[in-house]
Amino acid sequence: MLASIIASGLAIGAVYALIGIVYNTMYSASRVMSFTAGQIGMLGGVLGSLFILRMGLTPIIGFLLTLAVCSAIGVVTEIVAVRPVLSKLDQHLYVLTTLALTMMIQQVTAIEWSTEPQPFPRLFAIGERGPFDQRFWLPLAACAAVFVGLEFLYRRTLIGHAFLAIAEDNYAARALGLPERNLRVASFALSGAIGGVAGFAAGQLLLAFFANGAMLSFYGFVPIAIGGLGNNRGAVVGGLALGVVQQACNFIFGGIFASVAVFLVFIVALLAVPQGMFGMATVRRV
Amino acid sequence: MQITRRGLTLGAPLAVAGRAAMRRARAADASPILIGYPAALTGPSSAPGVGQNRGVTYIVDRINAAGGVKGRKIQMVTRDTQGDPTKAVNAVQEMMASDKVHAIFGPNNSGEALATTPIVARRGIPNIHCCGITSLIDEKKFPNAFRQTPNNDQSSDPPRIYCQKILKLNKVAVIGDSTGYGTSAVTDSVNNFKKNAGDVVYQAQIDATQPDMMPDMLRMREAGAQAIVPWTVSTGMIARLLNARGAMGWDVPFVGHQAMGSGEVGHLLQKPEYWNNVFNEGFKNCSLDAAGKLPARTQDFVDHARGKMSLVNTSLWWIVSAVDAIQLVADAVSKTDSSSPEAIIGYWNTLTKYPGLFADYTFSPTQHNGFPSDELVMSVASSEHDGAYALAPGYT
Amino acid sequence: MAPNVDQPNVDHIVDMAPAASNRALAGVLHAAMPFMLVLACAVALPFAANDYWTLIGTRAAVYWVLVSGLNLVVGFGGQLAIGYVALLTVGAYTASILVLGKVTQPWPAYAAIVAAGAMGAASGVVIGLPALRLRTFYFAMTTLGFATIVTQIVLAWQSVTGGGIGVPGPALPAPFDGTAGLYFFCLGIAALCTWMTANIAHSRFGRALVAIRDAEVAAEATGISKTRLLVPVFLFGGAAAGVAGALFATLQSYITPDAFTFDLTILFFIAILIGGRGSIIGPLLGTIILTVLPEFAAPLVAWSTFLYAVLLLVIVLAIPGGIAELLDFANRKPLESARAIIPRPDLLAGLLGHGGVHEPIALSGVTLAFGGVHAIDGLDLMIRPAQVHGLIGPNGSGKTTTLNVISGYNRPDSGRICFGAHDLGHRAPRTRAGLGIARTFQTPRLIGEASVLQNVMIGGTIDGTATFLESLLSLPRHRRDEAVLRREAMLAIRAVGLESLAAVRADRLQHSELRFMEVARALMLHPCFLLLDEPAAGLSADEILRLGELIKKISRRGTGVLLVEHHADLIFDICDHVTVLNLGRELASGTPSEIRAHKEVVSAYLGA
Repeated sequence: MLASIIASGLAIGAVYALIGIVYNTMYSASRVMSFTAGQIGMLGGVLGSLFILRMGLTPIIGFLLTLAVCSAIGVVTEIVAVRPVLSKLDQHLYVLTTLALTMMIQQVTAIEWSTEPQPFPRLFAIGERGPFDQRFWLPLAACAAVFVGLEFLYRRTLIGHAFLAIAEDNYAARALGLPERNLRVASFALSGAIGGVAGFAAGQLLLAFFANGAMLSFYGFVPIAIGGLGNNRGAVVGGLALGVVQQACNFIFGGIFASVAVFLVFIVALLAVPQGMFGMATVRRV
Repeated sequence: MQITRRGLTLGAPLAVAGRAAMRRARAADASPILIGYPAALTGPSSAPGVGQNRGVTYIVDRINAAGGVKGRKIQMVTRDTQGDPTKAVNAVQEMMASDKVHAIFGPNNSGEALATTPIVARRGIPNIHCCGITSLIDEKKFPNAFRQTPNNDQSSDPPRIYCQKILKLNKVAVIGDSTGYGTSAVTDSVNNFKKNAGDVVYQAQIDATQPDMMPDMLRMREAGAQAIVPWTVSTGMIARLLNARGAMGWDVPFVGHQAMGSGEVGHLLQKPEYWNNVFNEGFKNCSLDAAGKLPARTQDFVDHARGKMSLVNTSLWWIVSAVDAIQLVADAVSKTDSSSPEAIIGYWNTLTKYPGLFADYTFSPTQHNGFPSDELVMSVASSEHDGAYALAPGYT
Repeated sequence: MAPNVDQPNVDHIVDMAPAASNRALAGVLHAAMPFMLVLACAVALPFAANDYWTLIGTRAAVYWVLVSGLNLVVGFGGQLAIGYVALLTVGAYTASILVLGKVTQPWPAYAAIVAAGAMGAASGVVIGLPALRLRTFYFAMTTLGFATIVTQIVLAWQSVTGGGIGVPGPALPAPFDGTAGLYFFCLGIAALCTWMTANIAHSRFGRALVAIRDAEVAAEATGISKTRLLVPVFLFGGAAAGVAGALFATLQSYITPDAFTFDLTILFFIAILIGGRGSIIGPLLGTIILTVLPEFAAPLVAWSTFLYAVLLLVIVLAIPGGIAELLDFANRKPLESARAIIPRPDLLAGLLGHGGVHEPIALSGVTLAFGGVHAIDGLDLMIRPAQVHGLIGPNGSGKTTTLNVISGYNRPDSGRICFGAHDLGHRAPRTRAGLGIARTFQTPRLIGEASVLQNVMIGGTIDGTATFLESLLSLPRHRRDEAVLRREAMLAIRAVGLESLAAVRADRLQHSELRFMEVARALMLHPCFLLLDEPAAGLSADEILRLGELIKKISRRGTGVLLVEHHADLIFDICDHVTVLNLGRELASGTPSEIRAHKEVVSAYLGA
């Protein structure tokens, strides 16, 4: 019993963590937080189901196609909702452009896919294993792989260093001759792919359901808001903790009070520590 | 059926002209009978509307092909409300004030129906309802509103009776989703159990988007539930509950809402056998007997309709109840030779055991809930065939 | 602020001489014209159309009641409160429950509407408060969170709210019970809300809201307190939304939680953006369009959310000015190209020299480091009244940082900044305005969409005496404030030489003109000290001369000036005292002639 709560809590938490990393990846390249983070996660599940169950492709091909499309959506986010706003005086407008894009993705999915949750295929032909079932460990494995992969990328590769330089100070990076815009597009593609991985790995748990996007946008944001924006470690720790706490609340209190509790904790925590626990200091204003 | 909305390019002047023309035409006897149909045809709560609309389209075409009602064609004034009460209020007002409809069928969703009923009542337009909220029908306040489907009180009975009388289980968990329908249906069902010496050991509203229902299932088992009575239209939530039940190896029966028999649930189950021991509410006239046959009247309709309309991916009762609703209006006009509100309402108030496809309706000036409770049954959730279900074990 | 759409022509209102009061009245009428037009159409509606269109009209009026309040929060204040539908819910349920008599004796409908407004106001503050601490996206998320919580509470609190089954909405007694009656009632409230928001928009509160939206730093420098400004605005916005909720419940006749959809909240939001931020007539038209359009496009209803989203995207990216900008004909007239800035320092007498402060600002031992780099490293500085004190030095020597420390944007790590008995070191930037310390910025901080006059008037925000409520109702004290502010602002504008541009949108001005405008805004504080951050950058030689003259005259009226500048000529021309900084320390200090003779300065910096 405890095992099953922990298993599902960690699994859901891993999805939240991955969506948090999507937010972070977009943010570090552009200083923009995009509502689309959760929608891309939702699409990971819907596209996986579409390619494998409806179109009958093999899981590997389906996975790669899902990643490709999700990356493309990431790039579209950059081109449509982020790039035009960065050139404007009032950069807060990104809140509205990404919200608009989010609504468009969700509505198209609802109409063209279904408003009912659709099944997601079992990826490995092994039996149901209780708390150790693939639908629980897949998101965790995906989260671990993405986290380690990103650490490797940022620490060991040239392009990773370039990403970090942009994140650190994008004017300076541009002055150094880094192709700031291309790097930003690349990180949005990367974040799209991460969202795709998240949704695909969580497909069996969350099902291919259009309303998952809004849910993930919020719950994926909670860990980074509390942990600190731009910090992947904070996202992972916060995400996993959130998942387990949420499942525990579901078990202890039951019903809808758990989600209300999460909202309240989120708002209070934010008010207490607006920068997040591992957040950065305020930027210079004058 | 015909969507009689103006297109984007047409403005109000044209509409006014059209309406004037329509009014002139009505002086003659061949004017169409206009039935307003505000329905959720798209969006997350559109499943019943989509099914009903098939029935509506079919029966309107059939009546009109046969020459209409005493020479008058039936014309539907349909407007998609998406289940949104504000759109429904706008829709009925337009139907009454601009289109001058003779009767209104729906709307379906509780929030919509609760809001539109008083507004329609102010103009006294005959209104047939297919929404279950018990308080919706009030013969004094809304003498124009009639219901042809079971109300939530009636709907609470069969699962309770099935648990108590046939399964002989009295400790139940009553759960619902966190929508308006879920919360109200749970309340009604719990009260129904308590009134009849049932033991509700667990009662909860569950967030339908919750990815794993294991914690809730564990809580119900801990509480000592012998049967689970779910009230939700969320197929995802039902499937997750059933998957959790299967994973726990807990063979507790599920006895409740019709949606448990939806094909969407079947797709989402990890194993087909997880659908066993699940009983959804059904209707005698839409239930298959041991030989796989429907009752004669319904079987006849299905045989006629097959090929002319799709019977898959919906429930038969949505189709036939909508057919009945249109037929009720058509018969009122035909029998009284008038499409005035007084004539239609007056006719309906005289009906005793009116033989519909869905049920035999009985209305009187003091009773506008026309659906007889004894038509309600439980059925086997996994037995769906062309929208009909096999009777649950224990019924004859 | 999009001027001239909803605002009187400036020429008419600046000059409040008695002879001109008729013209002023004409200006007001001119500004009110579009509103009168909308109102006339609205009044005619029930006579020209059937109940259906009257219902749609009622809906538009109800939505506008909410949007008018939200417009101050979003359109003027720039606070992205997305989840405002939560307040509509609160108001609707408050009124319905009170009239129903579930918790108390049944209330009369009108009292219940007032109570809904009160509950809305309280909830508006709760929803809005995070804006004082959080960044935009975070704030947007919390408002969405509130919207969810409110729905869940309504569902769960069945004994009072009826849960999923809901409650009947309040019914108004005659003569407001029928379709047309309710329409006129809602129209009346909508008109009242329009008038009140217009009063706020044309008050120091409205201008300050736009200032914190577009130029938050400048707003702080003029002493605007975000908290004190936003709390009444959230109260008013919440009250309007609460009343709108009560009317919504009446219109719907019955409310359930599913009536308060996310689409509704998006509709409110888009109405404001379509209309144009900082305008009133624009969002009013936006609300009407968004309420009516779906009725003509009913077959497209399945795609309505998608279409709203497209609309939102297109507006934000393509026409950020919205309807208001399209209607802003006055600002399309080309400006005179060969115009010159001719300051009139003689007018300064009307603005400066009435204060009695003769104490210097004294910095002693101030240090400040950014990430280990010392921007200021033990600086002593004395800025005296009635003198121009020049601060020069190479890039990175700590000039602007010094200015920022004095005006409070950077807190020193150690050392003291004293102004008379006041220790300034750890006080927030907005406290400086009250002490008479004004400043300008290296990059002019301004509200592009507002006129020069409005920009300058922002400088005098803290001198206003009328409360928010007085401004809301346009009481005498509010009108007096406005007249005084306008007179002084016009004086300041003339003093710096921008008279001909007073009514022009600030973003149409040349860079040099903006610098003078910033000086005018600073003068509105009647400053004892004026801190100028490279005011001559980007100016022509002529303009620099005139600026120098103006600065000198300002100092002669008793105001101490701290001048951070690269133009050595200007410094040596007008300064009484010069301090040379290098690496955050004083390299030299003295009169211009002493500095000119200072060996190190000459070799290291002046390079002559």
